[in-house]
Amino acid sequence: MLQNKQARQDDRALDLALQAAHARSDKKMLIALYAAAAARRPEAAAYFLTHAYVYALESGARDAAPLRARLVALGAEV
Amino acid sequence: MSDALSAVCQPITSARGLPNAHYTDEALFARENDVLLARNWAGLAVASDVPEPGDAVPLNFCGQPLLLVRDKSGKVRVFQNVCRHRGMILVDAPRKIEGVIRCPYHSWCYGTDGRLVTTPHVGGPGQNTHDAIDRRLLGLIEVASHIWMDVVFVNLSGSAPPFDVVHADLLARWQEFDQPLAPGGAESRFSLEVACNWKLAVENYCESYHLPWVHPGLNAISRLEDHYNIEQPGAFSGQGTEVYQQFRTPDGAAAFPDFDGLGPKWDTAAEYITLYPNVLLGVHRDHVFSILLIPENCARTTERVHLSYAATDTDPELRAANATQWRAVFEEDIFVVEGMQRGRNASGFDGGAFSPAMDGPTHCFHAWAAAALQEVSHHAAE
Repeated sequence: MLQNKQARQDDRALDLALQAAHARSDKKMLIALYAAAAARRPEAAAYFLTHAYVYALESGARDAAPLRARLVALGAEV
Repeated sequence: MSDALSAVCQPITSARGLPNAHYTDEALFARENDVLLARNWAGLAVASDVPEPGDAVPLNFCGQPLLLVRDKSGKVRVFQNVCRHRGMILVDAPRKIEGVIRCPYHSWCYGTDGRLVTTPHVGGPGQNTHDAIDRRLLGLIEVASHIWMDVVFVNLSGSAPPFDVVHADLLARWQEFDQPLAPGGAESRFSLEVACNWKLAVENYCESYHLPWVHPGLNAISRLEDHYNIEQPGAFSGQGTEVYQQFRTPDGAAAFPDFDGLGPKWDTAAEYITLYPNVLLGVHRDHVFSILLIPENCARTTERVHLSYAATDTDPELRAANATQWRAVFEEDIFVVEGMQRGRNASGFDGGAFSPAMDGPTHCFHAWAAAALQEVSHHAAE
């Protein structure tokens, strides 16, 4: 029960941080937060990693290559 | 229309100019956008609009949304500014592309070379591929482009022969200027908004007949008899002067270095040529300029002016002074082209007579336009 409550609080904090990063168009933070979301939700990892990958591509970040490799390994990207 | 266009193509002694409707009718404006601009090599921008890799500038030309980009390898490219997914405009303001061009709608991402890089969730959430979406076939639609004299020429239809074939004559005539240009900075580029059809700006630029009347300040150093006509039917026309004097500093020294290797002709010569359809060019021993005529509607045109030099280390204050001098000359022409535009509402005006001695370059342009319009009409009728 306590674990579930903590998890909900962590999800809420991550959600707020993502909204704030979107509002600032902070691509570096978006990459990190979506990668963190993927780690918290393994069943939806490809979904969140896709977002991290897109913002990494857009900003020309070095993260793009390893993120793409993870998506390829998940069968989500070529 | 055919009879009127045939009259334009007659020898200059009996020819008439293009009928009024070619300056006042939006339907004809759209037709000329297609026949005269889209099917030829038209001036769109200058390469120095995108000086660094990743620079991107959205432009509208002939009603089409275009994107001028310098890709990561340094090559200037022109794309249709739409996502291949739902046709969303990709870039709506000039900016630097740091990585890829991301469509703001569903985030399809394109390289600056046009490749479709990723298609997020196209196969469902967290699945970025689908058998029906072949990225190799869905890159950005590239427009044929060619850079010369820093001008980015585009052939929107993709049907014109290569630029250097179409314009071999002018490339040969100005071969000595085929060398690296140093575009001036912000002080060396400006725009003029003029209330006229773009063709009137061409017609006025082509000829020297008006110089003593409209530009009396030039007359003291550059008399009418010092000018000569330049006519290459179907390609370009304009005029030259034999008494060009370099732009000088207040103490009389040459303000700018000469281009390398120019022949003696250019010690005192300068030439001003319209490369059909819409690029006005001027070459001098120490600087060149281009004026791109961007048609906004049948009675409104934006003139984008850019000056370039032989070296990058010229004095910006002198460049600014040179640009100011040219701007004053070009502004003197505005009342003429706007007056001719208003004159095209006179129902009795029949396109006008040409001076066989003085209006050859203008008639050359009219005849080119009329012949192109006639040819397309002829093919459509077949």
